[in-house]
Amino acid sequence: MPHLKTAYAKYQNDPRVAFLLVSIDEDAKRLQRYLDEMKFAFPVARASAAHAEQTMGFDNIPATFYVDRTGIVRYEANGTEAHGDSPSRIAWFIDQLKGR
Amino acid sequence: MRSMQTHRVFITVIAGVLTAAAIAAQSPASSALARGKALWDQRLSNSAVAVLEAAARDRTTAAEAHEALGRIFTFKGWQQDNVFPGWHDEPSVRARAIAELKAALAADPARASARDALRVAEAFAAADKVDPAPPRDEVKALDAKLESYRSATSAPVSEIVAAIEARAKAQADPAPYFTGAQILIDRGEYARAIATAERGIAVSDRFIDENLSAYQMSGKSQGSYARGRATAADLIGWALFLQKDYAGAAAKLQEAERLSQGQDFANQFHLGELARARNAPDRARDHYLNALSLTGFSGGPPPLRQRASQALAALPRGGSDVPFDAWLEAELSRRREERKAAALKSLVDRPLPKLTLTTVDGRPYDTSSLRGKVLLLNFFASW
Repeated sequence: MPHLKTAYAKYQNDPRVAFLLVSIDEDAKRLQRYLDEMKFAFPVARASAAHAEQTMGFDNIPATFYVDRTGIVRYEANGTEAHGDSPSRIAWFIDQLKGR
Repeated sequence: MRSMQTHRVFITVIAGVLTAAAIAAQSPASSALARGKALWDQRLSNSAVAVLEAAARDRTTAAEAHEALGRIFTFKGWQQDNVFPGWHDEPSVRARAIAELKAALAADPARASARDALRVAEAFAAADKVDPAPPRDEVKALDAKLESYRSATSAPVSEIVAAIEARAKAQADPAPYFTGAQILIDRGEYARAIATAERGIAVSDRFIDENLSAYQMSGKSQGSYARGRATAADLIGWALFLQKDYAGAAAKLQEAERLSQGQDFANQFHLGELARARNAPDRARDHYLNALSLTGFSGGPPPLRQRASQALAALPRGGSDVPFDAWLEAELSRRREERKAAALKSLVDRPLPKLTLTTVDGRPYDTSSLRGKVLLLNFFASW
């Protein structure tokens, strides 16, 4: 997830952009340890794995969705694809949606 | 007198050719040349190439157009990595770069800039043939030595462990630990195999960290961390299975399945064996079929594929009386189609569905602050 941290640094003070991470961990203690270690600056929520996978239609994590201001999902990136999650690519998706 | 006249005619012809050349300077070919160069200045390569190819067909602009094409293909073939985020060299156009620059010189042998560009492209091509880090003979020999223990079934275990350590000392990648763990599993040395695979995880992470800049994008290094961890988790899970620790095996093999995104032959085969041992024939059948539906590079070695189909043939097929081979073929192609369809189905251009979220400590999560914003929503787990 370091790439998300890097990308977030760019939008931290931008009121038009929000990041939300959703953990599908079952083990809350393990998740808390992970969060203590990672010290994310953005909010983290939880959902049950089955609910999240069914609702969002992904079968692999990490799964990233980019939602525009009107609540429409515009881009989706599944898994750690080769170049799918580099900070510049994340910024590109967000900037596209900010421009709409 | 007669010769004088011939001379005059000759001069007139030359003058005519020169006039034609002067007219050609404002011709469609020369404006195409200018347009092609301008498009390339904007890095609109496909359009630039199309226009310059037209200009290269005209004798008057051939040399310059071929040179411009040669420079574009040199850039695309060798130099575009890191110029823009996400761009990569296209080695397939390297030969084309040299051919274009040669064509430029054929059209105008005196063209010094084309000669310089050709020299650069040929130097790149020559450099490609030099392997800056050929596998060291020492490492090759140590790999071969370790591999030899696959069949040397009476060699003492301490020798195998020494061979793993010797190879790991020569080059710090995790391969000897993973190969060694497999050999130790085959020897029934499960505890040692698990310790060796676990050592491989740390070595894999360290090897990636030490060479992080080589991955260039964090997504690539993330994938490599996951591959190392998936290999180790699968080996450990398989060793636990052979020790009949089915619960421990399930946890590890499933971790490997998540990390490999269900795309690893050995892991799917191992999950099939585990499900069969736990009297879950439906799940076993599913994993064997998943394994066999993987093809090509990730398709697994032929002996394991054969074992997977034999195990599958021995499982009940829910009353189906179709011959096994035909049934298998139908099942595998269905799975491949499903995988393709799954890759296509998505929420894109549809409203974000309502999600039930909680805070990390379990209270309902209030999403009102996200309304009206561009939102990056990332689902993850800490495993």
